[in-house]
Amino acid sequence: MKKKSYLSLAIAALIAVVLSVTLLAGCGGGASKSNETLKFGCQNYSDSLDPSAMTNAAWACTRYGVGECLFKFKEDGSVVENLCDKYEVNDAKTEYKIHIRDGVKFSDGSDLTADIAVKSIKRMYTNEKDKKYTSTPSTILPEESIKKLEADGNGNIILNVDAATYLDVPAALANPFFVIINPDTTKDYAKNPIGTGPYAVESLTEGSSVSLIRNENYWNGNVPYAKLQISFMDDSSTKAMALKNGDANVVENITTATDLSEIKGDTSKYNVSEATSIRTGFAYMNQKGALKDADLRKAIIMAMDNDTLCNKTVGGMYSPGYGVLPDSLDFGTKDLQNLPKYDVEGAKKVLDDAGIKDKDGDGYREAKDGSKIELRYITYSSRNLQEFAEACTASMEKIGIKATVKATDADTEWNEMVAGNYDLCDSNWMTAQTGDPYGFLENWYGKSEANYCAYNNDQYNKVYEELKTEKDTAARKEKITQLQQYLVDDNAVLVHGYYKSNMCSQASVQNANINTFDYYWITNEIAPK
Amino acid sequence: MMEKAIRFIKENKGFSILLALAVLILLIALLAPVLAWQDPTYSDMGSAFQAPGPGHLFGTDRLGRDVLSRVIYGTRISVPAALILVLAILVIGTVLGIVAGYFGGWVDTVIMRIADMMISFPGMVLAIAVAGIMGASIQNAIIALVVVSWTKYARLARSLVLKIRHEDYVYAAVTTGSKVIYILRQYMLPNVLPTLVITATTDIGAMMLELAGLSFLGFGAQPPIPEWGLMLNEGRQYITAYPWLILFPGLAIAIVVSIFNLLGDSLRDILDPRS
Repeated sequence: MKKKSYLSLAIAALIAVVLSVTLLAGCGGGASKSNETLKFGCQNYSDSLDPSAMTNAAWACTRYGVGECLFKFKEDGSVVENLCDKYEVNDAKTEYKIHIRDGVKFSDGSDLTADIAVKSIKRMYTNEKDKKYTSTPSTILPEESIKKLEADGNGNIILNVDAATYLDVPAALANPFFVIINPDTTKDYAKNPIGTGPYAVESLTEGSSVSLIRNENYWNGNVPYAKLQISFMDDSSTKAMALKNGDANVVENITTATDLSEIKGDTSKYNVSEATSIRTGFAYMNQKGALKDADLRKAIIMAMDNDTLCNKTVGGMYSPGYGVLPDSLDFGTKDLQNLPKYDVEGAKKVLDDAGIKDKDGDGYREAKDGSKIELRYITYSSRNLQEFAEACTASMEKIGIKATVKATDADTEWNEMVAGNYDLCDSNWMTAQTGDPYGFLENWYGKSEANYCAYNNDQYNKVYEELKTEKDTAARKEKITQLQQYLVDDNAVLVHGYYKSNMCSQASVQNANINTFDYYWITNEIAPK
Repeated sequence: MMEKAIRFIKENKGFSILLALAVLILLIALLAPVLAWQDPTYSDMGSAFQAPGPGHLFGTDRLGRDVLSRVIYGTRISVPAALILVLAILVIGTVLGIVAGYFGGWVDTVIMRIADMMISFPGMVLAIAVAGIMGASIQNAIIALVVVSWTKYARLARSLVLKIRHEDYVYAAVTTGSKVIYILRQYMLPNVLPTLVITATTDIGAMMLELAGLSFLGFGAQPPIPEWGLMLNEGRQYITAYPWLILFPGLAIAIVVSIFNLLGDSLRDILDPRS
């Protein structure tokens, strides 16, 4: 009898030990496998990886470590050679000879040549002209300014540009629009573009995940992980929880202030990389609809308490501002005059004086012509944009303006914005994709196809056109400041503030850093500790 | 009359208490503007995330809106929506079930095969698909749930009708020239109604949960509507720092659903002769 009970005890103890070990292994969140697979959680901005498809698709290509550009941005904003190893340029900065780095191979083993790089770049312009997709490489490096683009047969790309146009060619070629994808071997651009990055796509499940494997032919050093599993997580709290329970080793941009501070507070378990970004959170104001009324736009902007919105509603994830360019950039944001002041009563007076009143007693104001004002505010759940949209809608309610938030996904929002199917459209965009905000400011240039808000100011257009050829740094700053001032004076944009980016990783992972130019999420520098 | 009522209450204490609580919930919905001290959509962003305390008994949310007022106003959304939903599926399911059971043949086959198709999908998934196609709103969420939920009532009504379809008194009615609509109303409906009403009452809580679920997932009520499921979703990301954002709407759902579930059970106990 006693023997039997000892046996039972022994079995029970064994089971307990096995269970404990199993449970502890489970708590590890797969850490033991992290040398093999890197699990990355991020927002899904595009279901396609075709750089032609849309801006977000081009960015996904570089962010996921699939493709690379001829040049790349360093953390300080300077541009260095990447797939090219050297370049020569004449004094007028119109004739570039860019030498392709020897030994660079695509993930399928084919060699990168100057000819292939030229084809890859030209494909972007061809598709832009065909209007088959929505990517606009010409906003970064206008096609009409390119006088010559060809391979010279000696491993060089010859790129000649218009003398009259201000162009920082290396910076432009560092933009994800010009990610080099092998057009000869890529069969499916959307799901499996063949690039030179550290990882190659194995499979892509729309809206869900991307599986990647190590690029065995990678030219720039060791690729530490055999596999990379990217899981799409549109919700910030989901990212935080995934990081905590090990479903993700690295996540980008946790935007819930409470989650972020909790993760930052536990330095033994997590690393947090933060960067003062060059992103502005703002809402496009579509002047094809009710917002063509300048008084209405002015009142709406006056009704916004940006300090509270940025510091309280989104928990300090943004710093408040009114200019379209972050004040961290030296483009005159701090010099802007007549900035709007939060003044609800003043906003109401502006509307009253303009004849925008509640004439039918339903609690909401009607337009000057008596038609109902029902603003459609589109947004998506990224970088606190949905919180901004809801808070702004509540602020508009206070001055009697009816607005309805339509939350959607990034792809849909983009398409609705392009189609003009909105009154307010929340976005968080990089403002200086080439280190200069010329491309960003095109969003309000009256003659641009990238102007999705129908803003048109002759003075703005004139200065913008001057900016195109202005090469003097001080004069450029003056003109950019002037452009910002026009937007402020015309109440053309509902600016929320300037975003702070972050990348969070488990302590078992090192070098998961966010770049100010957040074109690069996954690099081969991210490695097990 | 009064004596009868008192006797009924004495004999059915549990049911009476639950009925009183259900009436209280309906009164809260009706008197929300009086009971809630603040407009549920009024935001004071400077007062965001205030903990429960004087001034804001249930605290405030991320836009500085009073959570108590939103929970009270939430009754106005969740309860009527669930009642409308249950009424709709009761009517549609009953009518189709009676018709299928009475007429049989191809009518029965068509209706029941459609019902079979609806049942073969997981209900919530189908509801999400329907709500997703139609667009997110509380009205569309109700329609989506009606589309997937009527089948239960149709099958129940059909089986109850089949039980009496071949009774002598039904044949007698047919032989004496009674109109079909009269037979359905006078003979079929009274036979199926008690069971279906009991089922409907017990379903109120479940439907409320499903509606809240759809709103939680973003397919139902849209901001700034003070709907409990939506409030849970809005508070979800602040669960560790500001737990009151999900605690109170969660409690509201739990309490109201429990009351309606228990009320359904009590009603079944009273009306079901087998018990």
